[in-house]
Amino acid sequence: MTRTTKNDDIIRLEKVSKIYGMGDIQIKALDNVDLAICRGEYVSIMGPSGSGKTTLLDAITTMMKPTSGKIFIEGVETTKMSNAELASFRGNKIGFIFQTFNLMPKLTALENVIEPMWINGVPRAEREPRARKLLEEVGLGDRMNNRPNQLSGGQKQRVAIARALAMNPNVIVADEPTGNLDSKSGVKVMEILKDLHEKEKRTIIVVTHDESVGKQAQRRIAIRDGQIVISKGEGKKVSQLK
Amino acid sequence: MKFDIDVLENSIKNLRRAGMRTVLTLIGVIIGIAAIVSLLSVGQGLNVAVETQFQSLGSNTIFVIPGASAGGFSRVTLTDNDITQLESIRGVSDVVPIYGAAAILEYDGQKINVQVSSADAKKSSIFDSTGFFDVQEGRTFSKNDSQAVLIGDKIASDYFDKQIIPRKIVTINGEKFTVIGILKPQAQSFGGGPNTGTSVFMSLDAFNRIAQNVAPSIIFVKTTSGDDVSYAVDEIKSYLDKKYGEKSVMVSSADDLLDQVNAILGVITLVIVGIGGISLVVGGIGIMNSMITAVLERTREIGLMKALGASNQRVLILFVLEAGFIGMIGGIIGVILGYGLSLLISYLGASSGFALNSVINFEITIGALLFALVIGIVSGLLPAIRAANLDPVVALRYE
Repeated sequence: MTRTTKNDDIIRLEKVSKIYGMGDIQIKALDNVDLAICRGEYVSIMGPSGSGKTTLLDAITTMMKPTSGKIFIEGVETTKMSNAELASFRGNKIGFIFQTFNLMPKLTALENVIEPMWINGVPRAEREPRARKLLEEVGLGDRMNNRPNQLSGGQKQRVAIARALAMNPNVIVADEPTGNLDSKSGVKVMEILKDLHEKEKRTIIVVTHDESVGKQAQRRIAIRDGQIVISKGEGKKVSQLK
Repeated sequence: MKFDIDVLENSIKNLRRAGMRTVLTLIGVIIGIAAIVSLLSVGQGLNVAVETQFQSLGSNTIFVIPGASAGGFSRVTLTDNDITQLESIRGVSDVVPIYGAAAILEYDGQKINVQVSSADAKKSSIFDSTGFFDVQEGRTFSKNDSQAVLIGDKIASDYFDKQIIPRKIVTINGEKFTVIGILKPQAQSFGGGPNTGTSVFMSLDAFNRIAQNVAPSIIFVKTTSGDDVSYAVDEIKSYLDKKYGEKSVMVSSADDLLDQVNAILGVITLVIVGIGGISLVVGGIGIMNSMITAVLERTREIGLMKALGASNQRVLILFVLEAGFIGMIGGIIGVILGYGLSLLISYLGASSGFALNSVINFEITIGALLFALVIGIVSGLLPAIRAANLDPVVALRYE
């Protein structure tokens, strides 16, 4: 991946800054960040605590509006969208996987996977069949009616993955996906992410502080003090903008 | 506004999943609504009962009650001359005095105090449609009943060890009378008052024999038509005021009395409904409290929903609907319970002599349901706005 053109970008940040606080006490969580992620890339973002990687993630996933700069997702300028437009956009284009799973505790696995479908207006008749299929694909076909408290950590994360795929988004964002898992489950989860990238050609973005997780990505981005320090691919040149 | 069946469905699902908390919150609303509905229903029933009583007399009836406005005994004794004077007023068709006196009724060796009433047989036809002299056993007066009495149902069955049935002989102020009939409970309440069951009716001749100081306790004046009523009332008032002094005799048309009674009933109903309303407001606060707690507990869930694509508006509607449903469901159950309660009250009332029918009417029902729904929505609005404005990034990481 050498030169990236604007057309290949699925995610693009232009001079994005995020400043918290006012007056004398200001924290620059992101400092003039330029970033472009191509369609179908598998990217990991790593950095120490306080580096801004979480803020970067929030910006990429449209959960947070930057103080300045522009963000484009699939060519659409999200920084210009209203809250309602953003919500709908986010729901359809981005799939989330969290460190702490964030499943709805009172819903079954099936209902959890259906959740984004009713939120985003999937026709009623399609919901359950689609959810079943997704759960089967992650190997939880026999666990559909279990609640989160009846599932192991690895199983919960797989439900979360199925949920993330519910609206068939092109971008999957995972925030420390193996952080709360034992090594065996962690391996399983990373395998699923790899499949999503290689077989289904989805764009995968993983934020982590775990080296063993970060190195599995095709392209690695390091962030420190709100700035991207390194951005390198597997033995290829540093990707540049424009 | 993104209002669709999914938001509706999920708000109900959420309420079900909250289980106990929903139930407890509901109870607050149910009690408030049930209280208001039952009291309104009984209150309306009282209104209707009173109106029916007055209507049976006819709207062109005027009540002349000596001493009633002085609020005590009738110190005023109306004379036959007064009756004649009243009869001469333009528009008056009948003047029917009811004479009353206290007496002692003796039966089977026991004595009780009773109120003996009598009216001129020739004039008492105005009472035919009123049911005042309806009997539940035996018969009412006919031509040669100079030694006959009608007695109240309580005298017949409650006050003596031995039951009094028709054909039995009782002694009133020393004179023997044959009981020809037992009065129905409702028959004895003039104008909606409680039935004491202790009335005794006899012919005027008999009355004059057993009672001293025969004076009318109440005079019914009928006019030819409704238009004549107000003129007649004014004339009667000015005549009696001049003769006996102001306010010594109460003169009211049936409508006036009805208005007065309704006004009092209205105030009582208002006060009691006000109390019920306060309890409902408390129920609403309960809803608000429950929803605020729900939003707090579900902060991460709300953050998640937003991450999954829910707009702020959608979240707002979801929570408002939840609160609204609590109001509505509580309202429905409360209305049913309230009516059940009012039926119970009227049943209890009937068995102690009050002819009380609770009213089940459209306005009360719809009003109560709407009120409950509004309380639900209003109470849920603040917490819903809070939920809608939660920063998803912060919410998702909430512990």
